[in-house]
Amino acid sequence: MASSREPVDLDNVPEAEVDTEHKGFPVVWLLPIVALVVGGWLFYKTMSEKGPEITIVFNNAEGIEEGKTKIKFRDVTLGQVDRVDLSDDLKSVVLVATMSPGVKHYLTDASRFWVVKPRVGAGGVSGLGTLLSGAYIAFEPSTEGKSQKKFTGLEKPPVISIDKKGTKYHLKADSLGSMSIGAPVYFRQLDIGEVTGYQLADDYSHVDIGIFVESPYDKYVRTGTRFWNAGGVSLSMTASGVKLEMESLISLLGGGVAFETLPEFTDSPPAPAETMFSLYENRTRSLEQPITRVVTYMLKFTGTVRGLSEGAPVEYRGLRIGTVKAIELGEDPLHQGILVPVVLIDIEPQRTMAYKEVSATSKREVTALEKNPHKRIAELVKKGLRARLQSGNLVTGQLFVDLDYFPDAAPAEVLTAGLYPELPTVPNSLEGILASVNRILDRVEKADLQGTLVNLNQLMVSTNNLVGELEKKTPELASELSTTLKTANSALVKLESAVSPDGAIGSQVQDALREISSAARSIRVMAEYLERHPDSLLKGKGAP
Amino acid sequence: MRARDFGLASCHTCGLVVKLPAVGHVHCPRCASPVHSRKVNSLSTSWALLLAAMIAYVPANLFPVMSVVSFGKRQSDTILSGVIYLFVHGDWPLALIVFVASVLVPLLKMIALTYLLVTVQRKSYLRHQQRTRLYRIVELVGRWSMVDIFVVALLAALVNIGNLATIEPGAGAIAFTTVVVLTMLAAANFDPRLIWDHQGEK
Repeated sequence: MASSREPVDLDNVPEAEVDTEHKGFPVVWLLPIVALVVGGWLFYKTMSEKGPEITIVFNNAEGIEEGKTKIKFRDVTLGQVDRVDLSDDLKSVVLVATMSPGVKHYLTDASRFWVVKPRVGAGGVSGLGTLLSGAYIAFEPSTEGKSQKKFTGLEKPPVISIDKKGTKYHLKADSLGSMSIGAPVYFRQLDIGEVTGYQLADDYSHVDIGIFVESPYDKYVRTGTRFWNAGGVSLSMTASGVKLEMESLISLLGGGVAFETLPEFTDSPPAPAETMFSLYENRTRSLEQPITRVVTYMLKFTGTVRGLSEGAPVEYRGLRIGTVKAIELGEDPLHQGILVPVVLIDIEPQRTMAYKEVSATSKREVTALEKNPHKRIAELVKKGLRARLQSGNLVTGQLFVDLDYFPDAAPAEVLTAGLYPELPTVPNSLEGILASVNRILDRVEKADLQGTLVNLNQLMVSTNNLVGELEKKTPELASELSTTLKTANSALVKLESAVSPDGAIGSQVQDALREISSAARSIRVMAEYLERHPDSLLKGKGAP
Repeated sequence: MRARDFGLASCHTCGLVVKLPAVGHVHCPRCASPVHSRKVNSLSTSWALLLAAMIAYVPANLFPVMSVVSFGKRQSDTILSGVIYLFVHGDWPLALIVFVASVLVPLLKMIALTYLLVTVQRKSYLRHQQRTRLYRIVELVGRWSMVDIFVVALLAALVNIGNLATIEPGAGAIAFTTVVVLTMLAAANFDPRLIWDHQGEK
């Protein structure tokens, strides 16, 4: 071989052999295309898998950790809190969370978020699992409403979850009482709903309590249904004994609501959602007849109305027919310028009606009082109907208004001059006695005592004279009296001798008595014989 | 004076010097290996590989390289977020190493290759020596970028303690591997002799 230093003999260099021609597409250029396709696909996949980013506003971020706190629905993780920021005004915290891509359609303005942490309430303990795992955010998806990305979290878990079917109603109560959110709603002591919330009415006149009645029980809520406060214990003493009413121990602590529909209202249409009902203080109250019509009368009493309170009953012979509406001061009709207590009463004609199964639509029989109360009462007043105050309770001295007939009372009529028609009144029983005594005293006062005394004096004088004359004749009278006594004495002696057993009368009487005694003995013998042998009455006394 | 100027080439396999015909693909008469004066389609292949590497570089930096799942908490890091994490936590020397090895080097390598390819294509006759040195550096340094990938692969295999800690490679790791491999291939396919082919022409 030639060394490298020697000149190369180029002619002896062998010639390379020519291949068959093959030229095609340079395969290596597929690489950038593949890279582009794969890269693009990766981006598309990542973008499409990336879930929506949402913000949730809470009052505070207690128990929430960035990048750790999960958002769950039915214990399935659907998202995670990425960041916890403060709002611009520092009044709330803003959680930025990424949700799973599939959840996108369930993020609407009806979706709800709240923090699940251990809670202890009257109804029980919840969220104990979060003691170990840490708090998480519960999410309640909803397909209804507008899609949105900004949410305001609930500070308390919602009482009703979205998948519970049922109806919401409102209750109007004078005061909240022991009601709490989550308190049960009972229907025949079945727990079928919950109190969802409460708020003061806009005009502060009542408390608006929201309740939720689960399906299918919500169909029992009719327009005529009555709700009452089932919280606490109701103890009532009646003539039939002591009655204790209590729904359940839970309602004793946390309050509760119960409802019932009176038989005559079961035909009424089902109440639409959000219907406002009145909340009565107890069952008895709630099931009283609804008073829709009242006729107001005015009563003027001359005496005191101490012990009469608003709401006191108006009774007719022990039957309640109305309620005391107000107690005020007014002018005395008899004495101008004198103020007397004026009592306004509501006569409630519906209380007097008798329920009868008349027809399917109306089960009531309408009484004359209900048809035209004013006319009817005017007639009754002509017959002697009067109002008076009666003591209803001797211990507390509570009064009530009693209506009754007093045929002897002075004739009176319903006065229609004032704002309300005025019923005539009579004083009550104590007042009546006092009035009679007063009358007697008045008469005594008016009587001619002076004349009487003069007459009495004259009488005394003449009696004196009479006695004086008697005194003068005394010796004469005394001697005559002595002889009379002597005569009497001898007569008595004679009588005594006659009556004594040795005397004429005495022996005769003794004989007679002896005869009677033997007769009686014979009768006894005969009676004994007859007792042994009653047949002897017919057969005669047989041979011995 | 180049072998090419005499119509000669050496066989890559057996080293036999052969005379090249004017046209066509040829092979060595001794060992039948293909014989070329320069690497076939060197520029085109390098360009294709480089472009593919550039495309792959984007997801390599945007997608997480590694996910650490610890106590149910998953933390995914891209290369840059890992560098930032290290830097923020005070490990700035380590951050620097990772940044240089994983971000800067592949980037500079791609820039360098692009520069080489462009200058060769434009038949530049300037700084041949510097360019050749650059090519050597590129070839030498390229493989060290794989350190990251080895770390991820080792961790993913080693740290697998169930709920306590699990490390999963991410899509970014695959993309990054692709970048490194493609740039290495692109560098290998580049024929440095092309740099010198245009020194005499003015």
